Amino acid sequence: MLHLEERDAPPRRRPPFAGLLAALSGALLLAGGCASNAPAPTAQIDSAKQAIDDAERAQAAQHAAPELSQARSKLASATTAVQNEEMEQAARLAEEARADAELASARTAAAKAQAANDEIRRANQALIEEMGRSTTGGTQ
Amino acid sequence: MKPRHNLSAHAWTRLAGAGVVAWGLVACAPTPVVPEGAVQARAELTRLQSDAKLAPLAQQALTEAEAAVQLAEQTDAKPEVAAHRVYVAQRKVELARALAEARFAEQERSELTAQIDRARLEARERETAAARSDAQTARLDADAARMEAAAMRAEMEAMNARPTDRGMVLTLGDVLFETGKADLKGGAVADLDELARFLAKYPDRSVVIEGHTDSVGSEDFNVGLSERRAASVRTYLVRQGVDTSRITTQGMGESVPVASNDSSGGRQQNRRVEIIVSNPTQPSM
Repeated sequence: MLHLEERDAPPRRRPPFAGLLAALSGALLLAGGCASNAPAPTAQIDSAKQAIDDAERAQAAQHAAPELSQARSKLASATTAVQNEEMEQAARLAEEARADAELASARTAAAKAQAANDEIRRANQALIEEMGRSTTGGTQ
Repeated sequence: MKPRHNLSAHAWTRLAGAGVVAWGLVACAPTPVVPEGAVQARAELTRLQSDAKLAPLAQQALTEAEAAVQLAEQTDAKPEVAAHRVYVAQRKVELARALAEARFAEQERSELTAQIDRARLEARERETAAARSDAQTARLDADAARMEAAAMRAEMEAMNARPTDRGMVLTLGDVLFETGKADLKGGAVADLDELARFLAKYPDRSVVIEGHTDSVGSEDFNVGLSERRAASVRTYLVRQGVDTSRITTQGMGESVPVASNDSSGGRQQNRRVEIIVSNPTQPSM
């Protein structure tokens, strides 16, 4: 009996209540979406810093200067964005700074590997020439 | 003929009108256009993916680049988000290429150093045949040793090791470990693989692995943590085939900072593992 009554009643009783709930949750969502006091993207900024440190340690300043300075200036902009409470923008800038720094490191590694190969090639050549000279010296 | 033609023209006009209205409706929604930069990033990525020489050398980076490009290709992002995604995608594609090129050069280097070894061997064989004077033999040996040392130095520098009084030092940053933990993260592995290859090639070299921490936390904890981090590097190298007898580990705790512990940047620099590659007994020249 009770069960049946409840089944019939809802269409009349619930709409205003449901509407209120929906309006409330909508308002909450809006408030959440608009609020700019999101936390600062500390993790992103830290990993950008670390990536820049790594690149600097690898001497990216010598081998990938444009990428490294791009990373530094993006990180600086990210820090400014945090001060201005533009947290989403800060997070994006930090992520870009990290991408720049990682690229700087990789290009540095590639340049160094290339330079090492060139040095080894030269050393190889010198050794071969030296051997040739020694052999001639020995037989004559 | 003529009226029929007129009618169809009329119908066409009406259709066009409806089309304009429909277009107007569509235009109100965000226009689904893949950003231009994403198209370029895709083209560059495809070029790299189909490069049989380079693609196999940076598979992980290529996977990440693929994900970044897919994200950049989405058409529903706000303009600033779309621009950001395009930027990251382009960088990731460039990163994959640079990593593959570095790896390729390293492989090339192994062949080159093998050539040096062959040249040395050849020199020895000819020595006996030519019955050279002791002085000549000594000079040739010294030359070969010098060449090899130059090659080795070049290799160490390519690994980001710096020359110090104690030998070449390779530093693994804090970012390569989980905070407060000793487990190695993925990024460290590439450096360590290279070190393992280096050690396989130069069996007369041994390494000292030193763990270091910042000044946060008790000294006991820090010494313990630095020991565990050093040990986890050793475990990795041993698994790569380096003999245990060539590796010494030490937990230095917070006793040897390289930067101030007052700033978070300084503390981060202090949390590190240093791998010191000993100088072998130099042949007297």
